[in-house]
Amino acid sequence: MNSETVIECKDLVRIYRSSDRFLKKKRETLAVNNISFEVKRGELFGMLGPNGAGKTTTIKMMTTLLLPTSGQIKVLGHDVAKDPFAVRKRIGLVLGGERGLYTRVTARQNLRYFADLYAVPMNLREKRINDLLERVDLTERADTRVEDYSRGMKQRLHLAKGLINDPEVIFLDEPTIGLDPEAALEARRMIKELVQEGKTLLLTTHYMYEADELCDRIAVINKGKIVALDTPKGLKSLVKDLCIIEVEGFGITDKDTEMLRSLPGVKAVSATMNEDKQVLRVQVVEASEMLTPVANKLGEGKVIGVRVKEPTLEDAYLWLVKEDA
Amino acid sequence: MPRVRAVTASFRHQFLHFLADPQWLIPNVILPFVITMVALIMFESVQGGEGNFVLYAVLGGGMMSMWGNTLYSSGWSIAFDRWNGTLEEVLATPSGLVWIIMGRSLWNALIGILNGVLILVIAVVFFDVDLELAYPILFFFAFFMTLLSLSALGMLFSSAFVLTRQAGVLTNGLEYPIYIGTGCMFPIALLPFWTNPLSLSLGPTWGIDAIRYGALEGYEGFGIGYWADIGIMFMISVFYLAAAFYLFGVVERRAREDANFARH
Repeated sequence: MNSETVIECKDLVRIYRSSDRFLKKKRETLAVNNISFEVKRGELFGMLGPNGAGKTTTIKMMTTLLLPTSGQIKVLGHDVAKDPFAVRKRIGLVLGGERGLYTRVTARQNLRYFADLYAVPMNLREKRINDLLERVDLTERADTRVEDYSRGMKQRLHLAKGLINDPEVIFLDEPTIGLDPEAALEARRMIKELVQEGKTLLLTTHYMYEADELCDRIAVINKGKIVALDTPKGLKSLVKDLCIIEVEGFGITDKDTEMLRSLPGVKAVSATMNEDKQVLRVQVVEASEMLTPVANKLGEGKVIGVRVKEPTLEDAYLWLVKEDA
Repeated sequence: MPRVRAVTASFRHQFLHFLADPQWLIPNVILPFVITMVALIMFESVQGGEGNFVLYAVLGGGMMSMWGNTLYSSGWSIAFDRWNGTLEEVLATPSGLVWIIMGRSLWNALIGILNGVLILVIAVVFFDVDLELAYPILFFFAFFMTLLSLSALGMLFSSAFVLTRQAGVLTNGLEYPIYIGTGCMFPIALLPFWTNPLSLSLGPTWGIDAIRYGALEGYEGFGIGYWADIGIMFMISVFYLAAAFYLFGVVERRAREDANFARH
């Protein structure tokens, strides 16, 4: 990574105006609220936040698809509002999901079309398409219509499409969403390779371990604002004074979780469902004092294991979002 | 050169979708057949198979199907991208949307020519129509130029499809005014006088008049001659293109302000 700034967002604001009915007064939604940050060349910059936090809106503004209501974005020195075509030539965008591909034609035909729209030199086009198909492991199915692809194959094709113009800066909006563990692992390996090749990446994700594993720095966004911006290690240090009581059990209801949250000394509670059991992560200041009250509150028969753990990025994220609530 | 690449790639891409999707048979084969059949039966019963009925029925049917195809393809190609989630993807590329739509419109124009030829074949094969053209070269030149004018008009209207999600309403709303206003099926002299300025502001109106000059010996039409018709149509079509380029710039910016690329 070097010190050259390739993305610069300054006082960025985006307001959506919409109305439900004809002639009805427009309703305003503040999606991005005065955010500023910079991304250096070669950096993998992550954006974490709950649904509706403003991550995708910010990415769409940086990739010229949306105009900021106010503020300024410069990508590779070009103002995205004033000079969108100069920006588009040098960036790649992976929006991901089931949509965004021409499903009635083949993967190769999709890539060829986008190669032409990005004006990839003709003498490089076919080689680059073949290399990308190889890279995302779609060579064997390159001439099959995309409508016959699985979700994971479509996501891999999205990645290939985002790289078709050999971009300097790549924007990835939840690139591993919906992928099976093996495919997600492969996607993360590819993302690491891109960073090693010197690309600058901006990534949004819901997966904390993914952000922790991949990102050099992370902006935590909530309600359109950046509530923290630091390295994964730095973010975790925000909750270094907290301990995590991890409870494994069965039949734990939402009411139980709410009761835990109301306990004095509990900072936050998150619940996830594993294949065979529920896992609660309870953030507390003093684990030794809270172990018994937490176990008692849930009651016998529901808890199969309790242990104390070090805080993770997820705990930092939950703490930040809760603090901002 | 990147603009030429965008045009040629979009032309090829439209062709691939044309092959991949059998629904093109409806606007390009079935609809022209139905229109021509209805028109021929209608004019034959009114004029007893005499006079200019072939001209109005066959050429009218051909022009109607070409406009229907141009409007359908240009308009729906944006609607298709919107539903497919690819509108944002193509807008994120450095090729302006206007060049992408131009490539698709050119493919649609080519299909329009095939439509027109198909109409002539239908007329000859199924209705035993004697198609003797007075000036074949002038006829086909006017035919080709009118098709380009229709495509330019289609491009002008298609800019509106960037802003709206109601492609069906817009397509249906624009289909018949052009059929009637350009005098495809009957001379615009039959329309109320107040509609004439609107009709005469449409390039294809002059093109259809030129086509009739090419098809019929002694045709008088607007009374200004074949080449004047072509010249006026050309100028109006250039205006359509200039307006389309301007409007695409405006609507692209507007869509970036309103964030409606992804809505479908």
